[in-house]
Amino acid sequence: MLERIAEAVIGGDEVAAPTLVTQALATELPARDVLYEGLLKGMTEVGRRFRDGEYFIPEVLVAAEAMKAGMAVLKPYLARAGVKPEHTAVIGTVRGDLHDIGKNLVATMLEGAGFEVIDLGVDVSPEKLIAACRDRKADVVGLSALLTTTMPMMEVAIRQMEAELSPRPAVIIGGAPITQEYADKIGADGYGPDAATGAELAKRLCRKR
Amino acid sequence: MPRLSLMKLTSRERVARCLARRPHDRVPLFDSYWMETESAFVAGIGDERLGCGIESFPKEPRPDRLTLWEYFDFDLMHVGWPDQRLRLVEPTVLEETDEWVLRRDGNEAVLRWWKHKMGTPEHVAFGIDTPEKWARAKPLLTASRNRVRWHEFWPRYRRAKDARRFICFAGVEVIESVKDTLGHEMMCRALIKQPEWLHDVFETYCQFEIDMFRLCEAEGWECDGAFIYGDIAYKNGPFMSPQHYREFVYPCHKRLFDEFHRRGMPVIVHSDGDIRKLIPHFIDAGVDMIQPLEARANMDVRELAPQFGDQLGFCGNIDVTVLTTNDRERIAAELHSKMAAAMPYRGYIYHSDHSIPPGVTLETYRWLLDEVRRFGTYR
Ligand code: B12
Repeated sequence: MLERIAEAVIGGDEVAAPTLVTQALATELPARDVLYEGLLKGMTEVGRRFRDGEYFIPEVLVAAEAMKAGMAVLKPYLARAGVKPEHTAVIGTVRGDLHDIGKNLVATMLEGAGFEVIDLGVDVSPEKLIAACRDRKADVVGLSALLTTTMPMMEVAIRQMEAELSPRPAVIIGGAPITQEYADKIGADGYGPDAATGAELAKRLCRKR
Repeated sequence: MPRLSLMKLTSRERVARCLARRPHDRVPLFDSYWMETESAFVAGIGDERLGCGIESFPKEPRPDRLTLWEYFDFDLMHVGWPDQRLRLVEPTVLEETDEWVLRRDGNEAVLRWWKHKMGTPEHVAFGIDTPEKWARAKPLLTASRNRVRWHEFWPRYRRAKDARRFICFAGVEVIESVKDTLGHEMMCRALIKQPEWLHDVFETYCQFEIDMFRLCEAEGWECDGAFIYGDIAYKNGPFMSPQHYREFVYPCHKRLFDEFHRRGMPVIVHSDGDIRKLIPHFIDAGVDMIQPLEARANMDVRELAPQFGDQLGFCGNIDVTVLTTNDRERIAAELHSKMAAAMPYRGYIYHSDHSIPPGVTLETYRWLLDEVRRFGTYR
């Protein structure tokens, strides 16, 4: 059953996914297993295929919808069973930058990796970022920038977080002009060339803490 | 017969031969600029005759003035760019602050235009999000005379004819058009979930583009080639799989390109990003040359020319991140290695790997163009 839930996510079937989740819960499978061994396992495979060039943006978008449809059914059960996301991620595209397709995929993959995700949208100021980190006790911050003219905002945000948040959440960055070298230079904790690698990285950073 | 290197070709002949991968005298030149660079170059040059923006600089076009293309004596120009919005509604201002204006455009999409920042606007919402809305909007997408900025393009066209430049009809391919009505994400989703609807949307835009081209032709434009714009990839690859491209987009591309080929017009296709996975399909569809080969997205003419150089031409690939160093030694190495790899196949046009950014000085740029002319002469 859990295998079939994962398959429904991988195949982007937003009808089958919630139906199968309902059926699984009816057979008294624990909500936690439905989440981790079903929905999220499926999304992890989607991320792998996207990273390896087997899946393209359309396949990932429909898979995300299937996962979300399944999640909507599952959420109340998770709450009752006291299963909470282990970690919280705040994500946004930096100030002055309006590109959000990549950032949205990263948010999806983070959800698929079991994070609670606070998506602040585009053109996000360091102040807004810091306020969200405080409010939601973020473990990880994901910053996206697609323009060479806006990537310096990443450094500004990191410095400001260092000054105002203790401890500062782990920061991962990505987007078309970003490189590992740049991440090292500005003191980010990691760089993700694609959404799946980014989510993996976020998990690893949280485990380290 | 004089040797080709001694024979002086017109720009029109040079580019036509280049696109056919036949011998010519030197590598043709063409380029694009970020808006800031364009205005800085125009100011730096200080020539009164200049001041006609290539695209959006200055805000009020001065069609009587020259573009940088003409000033630098480039071989290629384009005219056309039909307005392909649906014109569902008259554009209206919904809200305005010191920072931005929120407007509803002809596609009924809500866009936020930033007042102090360069660039395309932020899409707040898209008007067409169901097949039903599309069915109502579709009849509005018809070719008409008032979809072309004639006052801007006729003078440019005439000057290009006089100077014997190669003139391209410039238009937009279907992915680019559809992303403006549905948005990238809805388009991607519909590929899988609403394929029939999306086929219809693609087909409609394809026919519209063909109709607009025929209309321009009927107005008296005789173009030498076509320049078709569409960002269908990003740094990690195409937005959609090659299978989806083949099923949905390829038939539209082929139909549009056939229309040009029937008139002997070769086709240059612009896309950002890493399009390597689509190249064999492009060749099947009749693309004659790709532009601008973004270096950061792993496009490298040194690899592509040996692979596809007998079937496809290349325009661009000169890495702007190298140009912004203004270091002549590094720039020469970039230019020479790429030109040397592409020139033997005879189908190479100089262009940056996207647009010249503000960091490139006018002095460097002038030197660069001289160097392209020198190194790019076939002997
Ligand atoms: C689509 C697009 C647009 C759309 C954006 C629509 C939207 N809702 O996002 C529109 C048309 C609005 C647009 C506008 C502009 N754009 Co634009 N755009 C692109 C394009 C073609 C694709 C970007 C994209 O969506 N890719 C798909 C996603 C999935 O990829 P991605 O964002 O790279 O994300 C992946 C990874 O990078 C990573 N990732 C991304 N973020 C993060 C974050 C974290 C934490 C992690 C771990 C990973 C990660 O994971 C993602 C998925 O695997 C790129 C071309 C390119 N080569 O990237 C240009 C590009 C980014 N744009 C560019 C430009 C110049 C502009 C404009 C200034 C254009 C103009 N002159 O008007 C404006 C800027 C507006 C602004 N202020 O932001 C340039 C930037 C050049 C530069 N040196 O800075 C590019 C590179 C094109 C080019 N070759 O010059 N653009």
